[in-house]
Amino acid sequence: MESDTQRIALGLRQGDVVVLEALVVQYQHRLVRYLVSLLGRRDGIDDIVQETWLRVLERGGSYDARSRFEPWLFRVARNIALDAMRKRPMLSLDSNEEGGAHSSPACGAPSPYMLAARTQDAERLARSLQTLEPVHREALVLRFQEDLSLQEISVIVGAPVSTVASRIYRGLATLRPQFDGETA
Amino acid sequence: MNIDHHEIFQRMIDESLAGAISAESERSLREHLSTCAPCNEYLIASNRVIAGLSGFSFEVNPTLNARVLAALRLQADQIRQIRAHHPETVRQHKVQFKNWVAFAVALSMSFVGSALVYQMAERVAVPMHFDTAQVQAGVLVFWLLPSLCSALCLLAAPGEKRGFA
Repeated sequence: MESDTQRIALGLRQGDVVVLEALVVQYQHRLVRYLVSLLGRRDGIDDIVQETWLRVLERGGSYDARSRFEPWLFRVARNIALDAMRKRPMLSLDSNEEGGAHSSPACGAPSPYMLAARTQDAERLARSLQTLEPVHREALVLRFQEDLSLQEISVIVGAPVSTVASRIYRGLATLRPQFDGETA
Repeated sequence: MNIDHHEIFQRMIDESLAGAISAESERSLREHLSTCAPCNEYLIASNRVIAGLSGFSFEVNPTLNARVLAALRLQADQIRQIRAHHPETVRQHKVQFKNWVAFAVALSMSFVGSALVYQMAERVAVPMHFDTAQVQAGVLVFWLLPSLCSALCLLAAPGEKRGFA
């Protein structure tokens, strides 16, 4: 019996628009969420999303049905986002670890996390998330929201598993003080 | 229990949440958590962070899906048209690849064959009282060079003439 990943791989190899449309509907929300976590802003996300799906159509033949679709999709999106960031050198993912500038929304613009918070705990995290180093925020979102394994995240971000784990620990350490000393 | 001990278990809590802990360490951690209040607080705070991360809802721009689908259909049509009008482009790539493979095989056979004939020439020349060096030079000129030329012709020739396409 044909598995989901095999069906997707076959559709992508054939450039089947029907398969692609189903993928857009199924993964669009997660793609937007991932890109916001990566870039820390909403503006420009729609263009990157569109470019990502066009790249999926163009290079779908390289998707390997032995692995899940999401990590491959996120890696495509990440590469496009990084290309976009190179064109806007004020923003960088990795520069933060060497003391560079944090990615942030335009001056005066509301944080996407403030706008998207739907629970009290989320509201408490919003400010810290905005100032969290993007690679740490990305690792947290991929692990705890997208439910990806360390190995899958490692493939997406192009870093060793130990580095990914370390980013998750640091991200948790930065956000945990918001709830320290509370038992509920 | 000293602070270092808590730090070890709190590190294990991080590893457990990240999915980077061994089964043995996980058991040890569970045992410790059943008796340690500070580490339990650490775990609760960590879990609230994780729960908090799920409390964000990023709405997808309502027009985005329609925009993406329209762009995909357009691009798919363009790809289909290109393939329909230029099927030879794809075929040429396949022929080119086959040409290179044929060239590589011919080249390898030229060298291997020439090396064998070169060795045989040495053995044949002595009993027949020919100059070994001259026979070997003849082999190189009349065997190796024509073989190399043939291999190069194979690379340059269009695939259709050899029945590849």
